Amino acid sequence: MSDRNREIHELLVDYADALRDGCIPAFLKSLTREEAERIASSWEFWDATEISRILNGVGFADKAVAPNVSLFISRVDAEIASRSKKSKASPHGKRRNRTRSAAKRENRT
Amino acid sequence: MNKRLRNALKGLTNPDAERRRRSMEPFVRSTFGMFIKYLYRYLGNEVECEDVLEDVYADIWERPERLRNITSEKQLLKTVYLYYMRNRLREVYRRINRNLNLSQNSLKDLIAPEIGTLEMVSRSELQDILAQALGKLKARERRAIELWMQGASNRAIANELNTTVGAVKMLEYRTILKLRKMLCYYNRED
Repeated sequence: MSDRNREIHELLVDYADALRDGCIPAFLKSLTREEAERIASSWEFWDATEISRILNGVGFADKAVAPNVSLFISRVDAEIASRSKKSKASPHGKRRNRTRSAAKRENRT
Repeated sequence: MNKRLRNALKGLTNPDAERRRRSMEPFVRSTFGMFIKYLYRYLGNEVECEDVLEDVYADIWERPERLRNITSEKQLLKTVYLYYMRNRLREVYRRINRNLNLSQNSLKDLIAPEIGTLEMVSRSELQDILAQALGKLKARERRAIELWMQGASNRAIANELNTTVGAVKMLEYRTILKLRKMLCYYNRED
């Protein structure tokens, strides 16, 4: 991905490689302004990305399945608990802030 | 759709948040494999897939309205991708967005694109379709794609095919476009 001013076929292959290797951010950062414009204007590139994703899905997605679903469920539950706590806490927090600022204003006057 | 998933979906769309939380476990158990495999297409990275999926499930718990009236796994996957996964996928790359030369729209299309018909075909069916299409390619084209799907680098593929890395990239590009043409029957409805 170090080449500058890559042609569209090189860009697509680099995108597909980055997708396969799980390093899309590196590919995105490697794009120069000219390459970005080239991608934006090439319908062939956009057509081919769908096939790249499918090849990636068929070829590699099986390896992505994490063996411990229970551990993942506990992560999801913790996230839900945290959001639930936030949603319960936020109206009180806002009220408290409002009263504090009102108290401040009163002190100033 | 199996009974367990149907019941979990019923619980998930309940107005009571605690009941939704209890239904999350069977829902995750029934859908985790399907969702992570799908998400992997877009990220290619297990760690990020799990992080995104964690937020997706929490979003579903928070706003489950879209999952009402789901009747099949295919419909579930499509709905979850369109209304939950896409937003999260965009967020993954939002933080690096400022330093990129790619426009917002191009980035959006690359990271969380509109859904293609082919992308909604079940995995086993997709494997069959792809195997058929690969069978119609020339031996050299097929070998290049097969090696790529085994995880070989372009250098390794070039060595195997006795050619240069540049020629391999061109071969892969043309082959992908050829595959796209072969699979056009299944492609975007528009």
